[in-house]
Amino acid sequence: MVPGGSFTSKLSNESFLSLFMAGVLLLLFAAACVFVPNFYLPRNVINLLTNYWYVIILGIGVTFLLVTGHFDMSVGGNVALTGVVCAWACQAAGTSPNELANGLGLPYGAAVTLALLCATGVGAVNAFFIVRLRVPSIIVTLGTMMLSRGLAQVITRGAQRNTSLPDVFGVVGNTFLPGTPLKVAVLIMVVLVAAAFALERSTVVGRYTYLIGANVEAARLSGVKVNRHLTALYLLSGVLAGVAGILLASEFKAGVSSRATGYEFDALVIALLGGVSISGGFGSVLGMFVGAIILSVVTSAATGLLLSPDWQFTLKGVVTFLAILAQRFALDRRKG
Amino acid sequence: MTSAIELSTDAHREEALRATVKNLYIYVVLLLIVVGFSVARVGEVEMFGPGHFLSPDSVVNMLRTAAPILTLSSAFTLLMIAGYIDLSVGSAMSLTAVVFALLIREGATFAVAFGSAAVLGMALGALNGLLVMRLRITPVIATLVTLSLYKGTALLIVPGGVSAIKSRPGRPMPAWINDYARADVLLGLPWAFYVALLVILALVVVQRRTLVGRYAAAIGGNRTAAELSGIDPVRWVWGLYVLVGLCAALAGAARASYMSLGDPLSGDGMELDCIIAVLLGGTAFAGGEGSVGKTVVGALIIVCVTTGLMTVIPAFWQTFAKGSVLIGAVALNHLLTRDRPRLL
Repeated sequence: MVPGGSFTSKLSNESFLSLFMAGVLLLLFAAACVFVPNFYLPRNVINLLTNYWYVIILGIGVTFLLVTGHFDMSVGGNVALTGVVCAWACQAAGTSPNELANGLGLPYGAAVTLALLCATGVGAVNAFFIVRLRVPSIIVTLGTMMLSRGLAQVITRGAQRNTSLPDVFGVVGNTFLPGTPLKVAVLIMVVLVAAAFALERSTVVGRYTYLIGANVEAARLSGVKVNRHLTALYLLSGVLAGVAGILLASEFKAGVSSRATGYEFDALVIALLGGVSISGGFGSVLGMFVGAIILSVVTSAATGLLLSPDWQFTLKGVVTFLAILAQRFALDRRKG
Repeated sequence: MTSAIELSTDAHREEALRATVKNLYIYVVLLLIVVGFSVARVGEVEMFGPGHFLSPDSVVNMLRTAAPILTLSSAFTLLMIAGYIDLSVGSAMSLTAVVFALLIREGATFAVAFGSAAVLGMALGALNGLLVMRLRITPVIATLVTLSLYKGTALLIVPGGVSAIKSRPGRPMPAWINDYARADVLLGLPWAFYVALLVILALVVVQRRTLVGRYAAAIGGNRTAAELSGIDPVRWVWGLYVLVGLCAALAGAARASYMSLGDPLSGDGMELDCIIAVLLGGTAFAGGEGSVGKTVVGALIIVCVTTGLMTVIPAFWQTFAKGSVLIGAVALNHLLTRDRPRLL
């Protein structure tokens, strides 16, 4: 940091990178406006900002874990499982000869609690293997991804549960904020991101996260309870996936076992686009948010240009790769 | 006076017992699984008769479908011994399968299609190596990026409206595409199986007796020490990535031949199967030690379990079962290897 230097030189590296990626976003948006008809319309812009709300919620947990150097690829399966459990718990008990229409007959509140418990349970399994048994997180979370999605498939017999649900089930996912075209889920997303940002910036818990990512031995020797901290982060990631799962199940009024396929990859992509680095305790949820909008702009523009959905994979790969290179280049230049 | 570092004979015996268990457990597990599935439907199906797990038809079928995982997991082991991972192998397999099928359908000979697929596989592996070793991007992230790149390319090659490269009006897929992976060459088993067998044997020898294997273990054990000893990790690990890519191509060609089509999603989940096989085989996560032979046994376990389970549980239990096998393999691996915490 240079005393009396320019505005940008006083920023932390994270803020610099978030700003850099915001700049990239504006460039991409401008390019998209040129090539895609009606891209600049306010209605479209609002869509761009809000239609990835579920990936952003997942991205919060993934970002914190990525900062400490760990992965969580189980969030997609967790979302599916939570939605399915919530639906199953709400379905009227024993009223139908069709297995898929029978549930536990619980009130909605109890169903939501049960679903969140399941979500936290997945996080707990992750934490056990990663923190206690020291197994690499990529392997464990791929396993729990299969376990949770597999469990969702078992409960729905490979399909979905969408019958004999109480009316209250569809409320939270389909209510609009008064006077706006935004759903309640978007508000929840904004609140969670703001809370996460406050957490990472201003709280001891947040700073410990970065310390663990930067040098876990130093953190341990400084008295940070690393194991407890990592466990908490995995539980948090699980709970966030649960929240997203309940909201999505409510929006579609169904518990679908194939929901959220690939969301864990999207969450990782937006974190990487936002400048979160796997090595060195670096990155910010604001960056992740910017990354999500970038992804939104790219995929919307691709759809607008009438590219087939098959382009999504290639685009995501190329964009992530370019972002990693660009970020490395920008940071290297900054250090001079 | 006895030295403080001398172990008592009891401790020696315990160490020896531990080592024996560690070496043999996987064979025991395989045996138990085979026996288990053999007797699972003992009332309904005659032992070794038609429909039985160990009937000649069933065994031949299992070995034929196992060719891809056997080839791929052997090369994957070497890479993991060196401490690196490749999550894009499934997509590389799909992409090479698609290209192989496409070339054959458009009139290429088997040699041309096979050769092209092999070269493509090596190129895909080389790209991985470039990202990981030259650009120094974390292996997980680099190979996740290439996973989506290769998968996307495979999906884009297949024209919209069809699910795979297969016979289309005016351009039928030649029937002989099946020969590589299905036609009986010896004992009912096809060329694809014997190629896989050859690859396995070659890689077992490589891992145990050659410099490549030793260097991989050195790099995985302590990369800095290896570097200071004159081993260039960039060159050797890059080569291992190319090898993995080549084996992915062999697997892709085998799969395309078996199914008579190029499915851009055929390799999905292969990387998970490879990881499970390697874990079952006792290779440590952080690298430095491991055995291709034991990974092969692990791969056989996976094949037996997936084939056997299909006869016993409904289809929608499959994912949960696979996940349980992976988590079980992880726990087992933890119990039997010295675990060094390291970021993969």
